Amino acid sequence: MRQKKIYPYLLVAPAFIVMTLVTLYPTLYSFYLSLNRVRRGALEFVGLKNFDIILNSGDFWESLKLTLIFGVFYVGVTLAFAFVLALLFNRGLRFGGVYMTLVFIPWVLSEIVSGVVWRWMFYRDYGVLQNLVGPLFGGETLMTTATGAMGIVVAASVWRATAYVMLLVLAGLQTIPEEVYEAAAIDGSTKWQAFWGITWPLIRPTTLVTVVLLSIESVNAVGMFLAITQGGPGRATEVLSLHMYREALQFFHFGYGSALAVVMFVINVALGAVYLRFLQRDNALAG
Amino acid sequence: MSQEQAAAKQQKRNAHIDWQTILVNGFLIIVGLLFIFPVFYALMTSFREPGYGLTKEIIPRVWYFGNYDRLFNYGRFPRYVLNSIINALGGAVLTSIVAALAGYAFARFEFWGKRMLMFFVLAVMMLPQITNLIPLYKMASDLKLLNTYIVMIVILGGYGVPLGIWTMKGFFESIPVALEEAAAIDGASPFQTLWRVVIPISAPGLLATFLINFVYNWNNFITPLFMLTKTEMKTATVGLYDFQHALEGNQDELLAAACVIIMAPAIALFIGLRRYFLEGMVEGAVKG
Repeated sequence: MRQKKIYPYLLVAPAFIVMTLVTLYPTLYSFYLSLNRVRRGALEFVGLKNFDIILNSGDFWESLKLTLIFGVFYVGVTLAFAFVLALLFNRGLRFGGVYMTLVFIPWVLSEIVSGVVWRWMFYRDYGVLQNLVGPLFGGETLMTTATGAMGIVVAASVWRATAYVMLLVLAGLQTIPEEVYEAAAIDGSTKWQAFWGITWPLIRPTTLVTVVLLSIESVNAVGMFLAITQGGPGRATEVLSLHMYREALQFFHFGYGSALAVVMFVINVALGAVYLRFLQRDNALAG
Repeated sequence: MSQEQAAAKQQKRNAHIDWQTILVNGFLIIVGLLFIFPVFYALMTSFREPGYGLTKEIIPRVWYFGNYDRLFNYGRFPRYVLNSIINALGGAVLTSIVAALAGYAFARFEFWGKRMLMFFVLAVMMLPQITNLIPLYKMASDLKLLNTYIVMIVILGGYGVPLGIWTMKGFFESIPVALEEAAAIDGASPFQTLWRVVIPISAPGLLATFLINFVYNWNNFITPLFMLTKTEMKTATVGLYDFQHALEGNQDELLAAACVIIMAPAIALFIGLRRYFLEGMVEGAVKG
């Protein structure tokens, strides 16, 4: 009998060892590093000094603001696109599979590949999208303006994320039985009324979870920024994650970088707590 | 919906091809083509003559197929691709095995602390990876394991574990327990049951976990960029980042060829085995 009791623990042990090694321990270690100054690999304890510097740093607040701006547009536009596509796919189209494959391709591309191509598309004089969209903004080279550069990163990020979010919304939509709509149609309600009266309340939980997941992603997004703008022009797109990345990797400020990571971590935990709240309300953990 | 109803609905659909259907399909075709345009653009650019990387025309006036050859003699690109394969494959195998074992335990057994451990998995899933890069770099450096395959495989493999557990748990729960009970009655040990009965039946779940993680690792760019400092250990994505700085604006056709090489396996796997990708994603995300 004793053997049977240990068995499940033996099965979960490797997973928990690996997760501790690459996630839990590093997270705790980053807390510790954030209280130090790291010089040539040697630690010097400085207490909360790094956080003091962060909170009084204009660069930090600017990067936080940029993260927020990016997040609002990224989450909003992705969700809007995903909803429209999911509602269309939910009609059970004959070639749905083909369209699904097409919109999913960006999702399987690396951020750096996406970045290289999106930079080309907005290249001065030659860029396809630059020539298409540029005239709407007075012919400026969009990559060289603060708003334009941020807009390009938002567009590229939305392009990559839409399909995945669409899939989540679609899965939510498909749990709604057809009969409900038929009953509503018999009652004489319009499609618009049916959407707000039936569809929306039923997929609201999925939507809220998706919003939180996308928000978390937007805080941690760094690949697209690095691949497309590298924070430029100037520092116009140096979001918090990129700010941390540069402090750590380019300037080797490991202590200060870790303190920035802790700040990001706190934002993540706050959003993550909201996410777990939603899940618990749906009682997903009970299963 | 009953079968007759479905048939009736299908018939109704076939009876008159209304403008709405045409509009929806037309819209989705346009959206689909716009979505894959960047892939097409990279492919076309990779067929341009040396030095003619970016021009106003999208389709090359003169087709040149030598860029892939040039690319494989440029810098250490073949080595980068090899490194990518080793890291992505190793990480995906590690994730699949470790996640399958834990997912099975969560799906099949009741044990003390189970809820707490499941909560831990969800919490870890929520922890950002990017904020762990500095400590991971420091750890690898202190252990003198910087620039080794093993570090990349453990990190990439570990990243996939929480979501993998959730996906595998869902798959195991969809398999009836009866088969395992039968095996147990026939005298199979728990391990034999797992190996001979459960793993073969859950192959689609394992394949989904493996594929999603392989593509994710293959594409990962920030982690290797941060962790790898030696040229010969760099992955294809990090190589592409270096090339972007060296080649953009003067040898874009070579840069495009590198893009295509990195895109090709991911796109091919996705198109060929789409069902597994989508099932795995829905299983991991919606139920979790």
